[in-house]
Order: sequence, then C-alpha cells, then structure tokens
Amino acid sequence: MKKYIAKRLLYIVVVFLVVSVIMFALFNLIPGDPARTQLEPLRKDMRPDEYEARYQELREQMGLNDPIIVRYGRWIGFLPEKGTTDWNGLLQGNLGFSQYHKQDCTTVMAEPMKNTLLFNIFTVVLTLSITIPLGIVCAVKKGGKLDQTVQVVTILGYSIPQYIFALLFVFVFAVLLRWFPVNGAKTPGSNYVGMQAFLDKMYYMCLPIIVSVFGGLGGMSRYVRAAMTDALSMDCIRTARAKGVREKVVIYSHAWRNALLPIITSIIGWFLSIFSGSLVLENVFSLNGMGKLYILGLNNNDSELCLAIQMFYTIISLVGNLITDLAYGFVDPRVRVDK
Amino acid sequence: MRKLFALLMVACMLLGLVACASEPASGTTDTPATDTPATDTPATDTPAETPAKPVENKIIYGATTELGGDFGFSLWTNGATDAMVWRMTTEYNPVTTDQNGAYVINPTVAKNIESTENEDGSKTFTITINDNLVFSNGDPITAKNFVAYRLFASSKVASELEVGSSTYLDYVGGKEYYDGEADTFTGLRLIDEYTWSITVRADKLPYFYENTFISAYPWHIETWFGEGADVLDDGNGCYFAINGDAAAFTADAVRDSVMACRNMVDSSVPTAGPYNLQSYDKSAKQATLVINENYAGNFEGQKPSIETIVIVKAEEETWADAIRTGEFNFYDTITDGTEINTALDIIENEGGFEYVQFDRAGYGIIQFMCDFGPTQFVEVRHAIAYLLDRNAFANTFCQGWGSVVHGPYGIAHWQYQDSKEFLADNLNTYSYSPDMANQVLDEGGWTLAADGSEWGGTGLRYKEVTAEQAENYEDYCVNVDGKILMPLSIEWASSEGNAVSDLIATMLVKGNDITAAGMQINQATMDFSALLSYLYRQDQSGTGGDYTIPTYGMFNLASNFENTVYDAAYYWTGDPDMVAQGFNSNYLFDLGEGGLDDLSMRMVYGVDPSDTETYLEIWQQYILRWNELLPGLPLYSNVYVTMYPDYLENYNQGAFWGFNQAILYASIPSAQ
Repeated sequence: MKKYIAKRLLYIVVVFLVVSVIMFALFNLIPGDPARTQLEPLRKDMRPDEYEARYQELREQMGLNDPIIVRYGRWIGFLPEKGTTDWNGLLQGNLGFSQYHKQDCTTVMAEPMKNTLLFNIFTVVLTLSITIPLGIVCAVKKGGKLDQTVQVVTILGYSIPQYIFALLFVFVFAVLLRWFPVNGAKTPGSNYVGMQAFLDKMYYMCLPIIVSVFGGLGGMSRYVRAAMTDALSMDCIRTARAKGVREKVVIYSHAWRNALLPIITSIIGWFLSIFSGSLVLENVFSLNGMGKLYILGLNNNDSELCLAIQMFYTIISLVGNLITDLAYGFVDPRVRVDK
Repeated sequence: MRKLFALLMVACMLLGLVACASEPASGTTDTPATDTPATDTPATDTPAETPAKPVENKIIYGATTELGGDFGFSLWTNGATDAMVWRMTTEYNPVTTDQNGAYVINPTVAKNIESTENEDGSKTFTITINDNLVFSNGDPITAKNFVAYRLFASSKVASELEVGSSTYLDYVGGKEYYDGEADTFTGLRLIDEYTWSITVRADKLPYFYENTFISAYPWHIETWFGEGADVLDDGNGCYFAINGDAAAFTADAVRDSVMACRNMVDSSVPTAGPYNLQSYDKSAKQATLVINENYAGNFEGQKPSIETIVIVKAEEETWADAIRTGEFNFYDTITDGTEINTALDIIENEGGFEYVQFDRAGYGIIQFMCDFGPTQFVEVRHAIAYLLDRNAFANTFCQGWGSVVHGPYGIAHWQYQDSKEFLADNLNTYSYSPDMANQVLDEGGWTLAADGSEWGGTGLRYKEVTAEQAENYEDYCVNVDGKILMPLSIEWASSEGNAVSDLIATMLVKGNDITAAGMQINQATMDFSALLSYLYRQDQSGTGGDYTIPTYGMFNLASNFENTVYDAAYYWTGDPDMVAQGFNSNYLFDLGEGGLDDLSMRMVYGVDPSDTETYLEIWQQYILRWNELLPGLPLYSNVYVTMYPDYLENYNQGAFWGFNQAILYASIPSAQ
C-alpha cells in the first residue's frame, strides 16, 4: 500500500507540473497586455513620452519582456525572482500577486475561501444527511407513496436550474414570509462578536444553504436509491433474509456495504466540493466566495489570481482522486491495492 | 432508520430556530438592520396620514459595485465604492469640486493660496491652511500631513509598494525623486507649520485647470509610516525620514503600516473627512461609517447630520426584494432603464421612498477609425449617423431614461449648459434619414458597383480609391480596369455580452436601411481586452499577439467624465510616436490651425485659468469641428436615478455631485 501511495504521489507531482505548464501557457495566450491594462487609467495624466517610459518600465518590472519559459520558471519557482536571488514561486508556497487587487493572491483568496468552506461544509453535511437515509428508505420501500413523492420532489431539484429556485426561494422565504434576509452575509451595521457573530452569519447563510441542499437532493438520493436497489436484489441479501437475519442488519450491514462502492466516488466528491465556489448562489445571495472571486479574476484578466485558484483546485482534484482510490480499498477489500 | 430520520428533522428544526433567534434583537453592541422587524407590515400598508414614525439616524446604502476594502486613496485599485468610502473619510483638500463639478478653492482648508511665476516658466503655488483643522482622533493637521501624501505618491517607495501614480511628473523635481536620482523632492517645500509650496513644471503650463495641481490630502504620518516617521525639509526640498534617518525610510520599513492604512484594518486610522470608518467586514464586504465629530465642514462649511451610513452590496437579481424588505434603503445611481422603472414602481405602489434623477456625465459611442477602409471617409461616417435612429436607440436602450448628445460632452457639463443655444443653432444632429445617407454617399463618390458600373440601388456600393487610401484594406478591394474599388463594407469590433452591441446589431447592422444604402457592417465579438488591443493597435508579441494591423473600422465604447475638467489634449496628435503609443485612437489627423489637434491643445494649454470666455469659445469650436468630422457617433446619454427613503430630506444628487457630497446636506428630521 505504501508503495502504491508513493507511486501515486509521484504521479500527482508529474500531473501537477504538466497542468501548470498548460495553464500558464493558456493564460499567457489570452490577448491583453497586463502592463498596458494597469497603466490605462493613468494615460490621461501623462504626456506620451512619459507614458511610454512608464509602460516600458512596467513591462520590465512585470517581466513581460522575458521569454515565456523564463516567466514560467519564476512563477512555478524553478528560477529566482526577477532581479533577486530569492526563489519564491508556486512551489515555495507563493501563489502569486493579483494585479487587479494589488495584493498577494493568498491574501485575496483567504476570506472568500473561508466563506466558501463554511457554506459548503453545512451544505455537504446536510445534503448527505438527508439524501443517504432518503435514498435507502426509497430503495427499501421502492414503488411506495414515499418513494414516488421523493422521486418527484428530487427530480425537480435536479432538473430546475439553481438560479430559478434560488429566486423562487428568495421570494417565498425572504419576501413573503420574511423568515430569512434576501441576501448579504451579516446584519447591516451590526458589530456582533463571537458566537453572536457566528449565529448572525449562519442566519444569513441559511437561505443559500437551503437552496444548495435542495439542489443537491435529487442527484445523490437517486444514486443511493439505485445502488441500494441493486444491492437489495443480490443473492447474498436473499440468503441473509432466508437465514432469518434481522431486516435492519440486512439493510445497514449487508446491503448498505455493498451499495457503498458505486456511490463512494460521489460521497468523496461531495466532501471535496467544500472548496468550490458557486457563482450563481454567491451572486444571488451576495456572498463573498471563491466562485465570485474567480469570475472577477477572469473578467479583469487577473491571470496570476486565476492561475492560483486553478492550481489550488488542481491539487484538490489530484489528492481527491487518490483519496477516492484508497477509499475503494477500505470499503471493499477485494479492490485493495497492495502494490 | 426512523430514529435517524427523526434526528435529522430535529436538527433541521433546531437550525431554523437558531437562525431565527439570531435575528438582532438583543446584545450590547448590536444595531438592528432595519428600522422595523423583519416580520413587520410592509411600508405600503402604512396609511399616508400616519404620523412620521421615529427612525434611526442611519442610511443603509446599497452599492452596485462591491467593496474591495482598498481605501488607499485610489493609489492602488480604484473600485467605485472603495473610492467613495475614502472620499467620505478624507475630504479635506485645498481644492475641491462644487455642485457643478467645477474646481473651487476650499476655504475650510485653505487659508491662502498664492502663485508665483518663476523665471524658468515654472509656477510655484504656496498654500497656507487653517490652523484649526484636526484629524478624527483630535491630532492637529499641519502642512506636513498634506505634504506627506504628495511626497509618498511621488516616491520610489510608493512604486515598490505597487502604487500607480503619475502626478509626480507634473512637478519640478518629481521625476528625479521618483526615479531615486534625487534624495529630496525639490519642487515640494515646507515653509512653516501650516504652509507648503509646490512648483509645477514649465512644460505643463499654462494650464486652464491649474488648480488641480495643488490637490492634496492630509495623511497622519506616524499611522501611515510608523513611529518616528516624519517629513523633513532642510532647504532643498522635502523627504521622508524615520527618526531623522532618510535612509531608513524604505519599502520594507513602511510596508506593514502603509498596507494597514490602505485597508483600514484598524478603525483607529485617523482620517479627515465627514465620516470615520467605524468598521469594515472583509468577509461580508460591508462597511459602517459614523460621523466624524472633528470635521470642520466642506467648502461651504456644511457638516453631515446622518449619524451612520452602512454600505452593503446590492445584487442585480435581488436588489428590488432587498429594498422591499429593508435590507438596504438607499439605492444609488440606478443606471439600467428597466431597473429604474422597477424602482419607480416600488416608489409609486409601495411607498416609503423618493427618488432623484440626474443626467449621466458621459455617453455611449460608436468610435470610428479614420485612417483606413471606408470609415476614413467622412461621408461614410455621416451616412452611418443618418442610418441610425439615435433617438429611438436611446429610448430603447435606456427605457425612456436617456437622451442623445451630438458631441463629446455631457448634458451636465457647464460648458454645454453655457453653450446650449450656440450648439443648438450650429450642431448637425444627424437626424435619422436614409435619404440623407444615400445623398452623402453619392456626394462622397460611393456610386459604383463591384464591376465598376454605376451602382443601381442594390448590392454594395463601391468607390474608386487611390492605392494609398486602399492601404490596409487591399483584401477587400477589387481591381477593375486598373481602378481600385473599395466596397462599402465595414468591420465592427464589439465586446461580448454587451446590450449596446446587441441593439446596434438590431437597429443598424441588420436593418433594411443599411442594405438599401448599399452598405454592409460585419460584426466581430470579442472580449474587452482584445477590443482595446485592436483599438490601440498594440504590439503584444509575447503577450497574446500583434494587433498593429488596422482591422476594424468601428468600435462601440462608453465614456465618462468624473468632473468638468475637459482636457482632450493629445487626443488628436499627429506625432507618429505618440500615435503608436495609443494617443489619437481615432487616427484622425486633423492638424493645423482650427483642426481638432490645435483646438484641443489650445483649449487647456493656451488659456489663462481666469479667461473662461476664451476657453469656452475654443471649446465650442472644438465641439463643432468634432461634430463636423464625426470621429465618433454618440448613441445615448443616460438619465440616472437614486432611490432613497422618504424620511430623508434635502438630498440632491447630480452628475458631478455624488452621494458622498450630497449626503452632507441631507437629514432625517424624524430620527430618534
């Protein structure tokens, strides 16, 4: 197993480097001159010769006159920073500098990431807490009224775009019933601290979390239901029942363990998704999250910020794949890898 | 299983209860979000005759652009709402703009301003400030505090801290200090505790708007640059020092304190405006401003009376619901016509709000490239103007909240207001007329068909051109019997996801009139960065491509004026180097006396600041010339609306008089 993990970690390094080359090249292919973009607002204040001098200075400062391979080397951390002997690239933990925000990418990403994590942790836990038992119940009582009702409700959540029922939920729960605020992340003007601040934040996050959970119900509960339906029709289940094993044991010990294998990828995927932002919900509910930040970066040609976000998700995906593969082995010893 | 399900339901209910309980109702430091509880009856149900209910002395301001938390005087980033916050927290300036956007001396700050012309042509401004000004924390404001801002913005240290500024180029010794060639800023001098002087370079003068050169804001030196930091002048100009040591003033030494002030991470940063930033929540992107009790007033001595202003983000999708439910109660500068109509519906049908409308200081425009292809010919530009019903366009795009201008100005400009009659009598309005379009095209020689015969009213028009005129358009031209014929086919660069582009496509490009006129416009959609690259014809080899070859004959853009400083100098330059650098992005070389280049330069660089009459005459000539040559076609100029609670009184916003200025005069008489 250790050898397998070591081999996979090595693959991760290789894939990460290949992805970094591709991503860096792609972002550099996007038309636009970062130096020109940065200087554009100052154009009207400068004489042409002053503008040109400042432009050239800025290009030099940003390393834009260097070959792309040199710029990549500095960005990834294979080469020292321009004009210094400091090795300060991605590999050394420096995610880069956001030209739009004029701050380190780490600083820029910190708050949105915290919000995204908080939002997604609640969403994932609630979604899985609802969908897994629901899927199991529906599979056990397949064709019953509960099953039919759940199928109808979940298909709605699955097929209607999140944007639509986000607005619908806002109208019902925020405008008509006034249970929740329309959007935002805290009570305007409040200076809560500690637990009160947390609860205030959760109050504002309730509606987006409900929307997100509702949107996630369909897919997962259907996966679980399908996997459990298959598992319940297996010969071993029939044998267990014939032996007089209690129904609860049949369902949770025998059937659920067999059903887990096909859905383990989805479950781990859900947990890994706690890092990913939702552009739609963040915009509708005015949340300061990663989705919004990424789009802002793309719209403003903030390539270093976009690269930093992209590479962060690359790492998450690669590690997530490894965890998924290892989890198969834990769930089902038949597929455990020992080499 | 049942237990698990029951447990889950209980958890959900608890979460709901916790959430509801967390609604602000108690606590020692809280301030309720709205004046009424969330479950209260909406404002619509309140009869009009009900006596005014006491409300909080507070505004919750919905901003259309998000707060970024960069309150660093626009030296770094320049988000609109961030800029508004720093203007509200740092209003003291010897010069400021009045209700009409004109630069005026601010007597609250400036006690005396003198100017002296030097032998070398430079000009020294000596500014004495009043001795009663204090920061929000009570510390006195002296000349050093104003000098610190200008000195920092002109220093190498600022550049190393990613500051984007170019104003140091205006002053004697500014460039040398910025480049690190000089230890002191020779043009910036400390005279006494309340007086400083600044010398403007000779090549920047005379300048009609010379007052702008003395603009400066007070910075609390030790807060911005750390303990022991000071501004000194030994007789050769100002410089920074820490504990008397100039060499100690480095980017590394001041980075932390400067960044802390830039982001106002600590609400104790002393500021000098009508409001103090009480808190900024970078997670929620929400700012709370409270009155600065030490504020001496604006240029008219006006002080604010509204105690608290909370700034939150208004989302495009939900702003109407948010304002209905009291999430915010002030929605500034609604630009979209549909949103304006929604706002008016809320005001009319639900009550509780008033609105103020004002003209946008800017316009949307089609910009032509005047050095190649069909758009190099003025008749073609005129024909396009005649083919587009701009009144209908403005009405459709702005949903009735817009108008049409006929030159590069805004309705709110004082220059326009003072020239209304003259412009009405002399400007060509290019009223929609396909017949006129055909007539000007005929007059311009666009009378041939592709085979060289007379154009018969169908298909594209052609014009016989010289090889020089066909340059950069050869691929489209045809050779017939040794004659070069240019088709009336125009390449148009439009930005993606742009409603203006869509409407131009519908009303002009795909219309029958354009076909009947023998013209064709081909739309190419691209992102805005690429559009700018094509516009400025930038050589970006190594960073995306080479855009130096003229490709598109027209672009649709928008332009805004922040104030009434009307400076179009160098916009029409003929200097090839300047043109290559992106100046004269119309590539219209109207040189010589009376041309656009001459008029735009003379307007600001040849007129004494006191000679408004001459300035206005040149401005009028410039507008007329522009209207005649039509390097661009103004499409619409919006009318904006700001929606505010009906208990707010005396709120008057304008094109050049924003929320941060207008709110000083507003009050809430029914406030508790």
